[in-house]
Amino acid sequence: MFRFGIIVCAAFLLYPFFLPDDFYGRMAAEVLLAAIGASAWNILGGYAGQISVGHAVFFGIGAYAPLLIFTKFGLPPIVGVPVGILVSTAVTVVIGLPTFRLTGHYFSMATIAVAELIRLVISNWDYVGAATGLMGPAVARTWLDLSFRSPIPYYYIFLAVLACLLLLTWHLQRSRMGYYWRAIRAGERPARSLGVPVVRYKLYALLLSAGFTSVAGSLYSLMVGFIDPESGFGILKSVELIIIAALGGAGSLFGPLVGAMILVPLQTMTNSLYGGGGSGLTYIIYGGIIVLLARYEPGGLLDLWHRMMSRRAHRADVAAAKPHAS
Amino acid sequence: MLLRAQNVSRSFGALLALSGASLDVTEGEIVGLIGPNGAGKSTFFNCVAGDLTPTGGNILFNDVDVTRATPEAHAKLGIGRTFQVPATFVELSILENVMVGAFLRHPDRNDARAAALEVIEFTGLKAVASAPARTLGTPGRKRLEIARVLATQPKLLLLDEALAGLTPSEVQDAIALVRRIHAKGITIVIVEHIMEVILTLAQRVLVFNQGVTIATGTPREVVDNTAVIEAYLGRRHARNAGAHAP
Ligand SMILES: Nc1ncnc2c1ncn2[C@@H]1O[C@H](COP(=O)(O)OP(=O)(O)O)[C@@H](O)[C@H]1O
Ligand SMILES: [Mg+2]
Repeated sequence: MFRFGIIVCAAFLLYPFFLPDDFYGRMAAEVLLAAIGASAWNILGGYAGQISVGHAVFFGIGAYAPLLIFTKFGLPPIVGVPVGILVSTAVTVVIGLPTFRLTGHYFSMATIAVAELIRLVISNWDYVGAATGLMGPAVARTWLDLSFRSPIPYYYIFLAVLACLLLLTWHLQRSRMGYYWRAIRAGERPARSLGVPVVRYKLYALLLSAGFTSVAGSLYSLMVGFIDPESGFGILKSVELIIIAALGGAGSLFGPLVGAMILVPLQTMTNSLYGGGGSGLTYIIYGGIIVLLARYEPGGLLDLWHRMMSRRAHRADVAAAKPHAS
Repeated sequence: MLLRAQNVSRSFGALLALSGASLDVTEGEIVGLIGPNGAGKSTFFNCVAGDLTPTGGNILFNDVDVTRATPEAHAKLGIGRTFQVPATFVELSILENVMVGAFLRHPDRNDARAAALEVIEFTGLKAVASAPARTLGTPGRKRLEIARVLATQPKLLLLDEALAGLTPSEVQDAIALVRRIHAKGITIVIVEHIMEVILTLAQRVLVFNQGVTIATGTPREVVDNTAVIEAYLGRRHARNAGAHAP
């Protein structure tokens, strides 16, 4: 297991050295970015079981902040990253407290409503570029602008952020916080009777989740250098985060990464096959994945994998026990 | 006085499920609570545990007014309860279920784990500790329900039909477990249908019918009370006694 971990880490670190061209480098960076966003969603939606369909709000805030800081004040976009986190966490408290009174589908529907409302506001707000959105620096003034022609620097930045996020999640998952989140997901009423302050722990999950989703948004706009209301605050963004996490396995540490490694290349493929008109197809793929997961594998691919491995181990046990028995 | 519930009422719309129930419990007691189905026993437990806010009356625990406190505040103060229908965290292992309770007094993971293992040993779940809780049947889930709340180190334990649906030999094991819990110094209020359990365990019995207390006394006194026989035992005791005869 330990050796497997070392090999995977080495593969991620060395991957860019074996690239034929930038196309694969960009795709790999996008995989990591998607994994960051989905891992961030996973804290609230996976571990704590509160299915938010409005996380685009935090992604959008994170994406707008660097480019807004750049356009309005001429500062390096990266200064906007902490601003995005601050605004996201502030929004979290404003929307979290009322929506957490709702459970299950009602919570999910409320998050959609809030996100769509905010998207409409942004689309009509001239200060933030209204429907056209915002641009980053055309050419890097200093390296601080983090504007690179090659995707490789982005790849390593994203890898570092993802590693931090997963390390933090791993630590929380095995501490009281993680146990309380899973108890809340399994049943709020018994959790409360065992002394779990449910609203407070949901809020912790939302704060962390929103903060890191905002970072994912910032990294996106740093790399792409452009943001508009649809790509920042659109519902497709929220749905994408959910599907990636659920595909790999919501509530597991590496589920979102696995999901991203499958879904992002799939998206890139359909986009290059059908040109820019691939977005309709994206909806169809998302819908198909939702139906398949809900019907056959609600635990996601990692869960399926674990079950297959334990079945194999079980068969091996049985096989090993047989000669003794006879 | 550990618990002082005075004139507790709770209505659901037009239905008055509990109407002016009072109960005083001193430290170290085992109090039995009986009554026919729908008498309001679970509703009373829900009020005492903070799961439902009473529509009338008040509840003091160690002289602190807890009438409107949240369930988690009740747990913190030392009121623990089991649910009549086990509310097992099926996605977690048995050990993890108990650890959720243990985290209340032990914020550190290793401490919580050690405390949970102790409770698991105490409740006889050791052999299955690492199994997923979903693999347990009803008797196992009832036991896990008790283990989980014990891990929160309650002073007062409310057991809501924790022995219902067990076979006679499982009932004997469960009675022994309740005795050992009591021997630890935990005060217990127990709701139970099986008269034999109440007779062997409780020092004092309260009888509910249609949301009101119709009798209180020692188990013997209650069994001989005509109002009780009419309301409850007249119909049920014969059946129960028949069902549990060897
Ligand atoms: N959440 C609820 N909503 C509406 N009615 C309820 C609710 N809980 C209990 N009741 C009603 O209150 C009455 C008392 O129920 P309960 O306390 O569960 O009785 P017991 O535990 O003594 O069998 C019953 O008539 C039941 O239908
Ligand atoms: Mg009941």
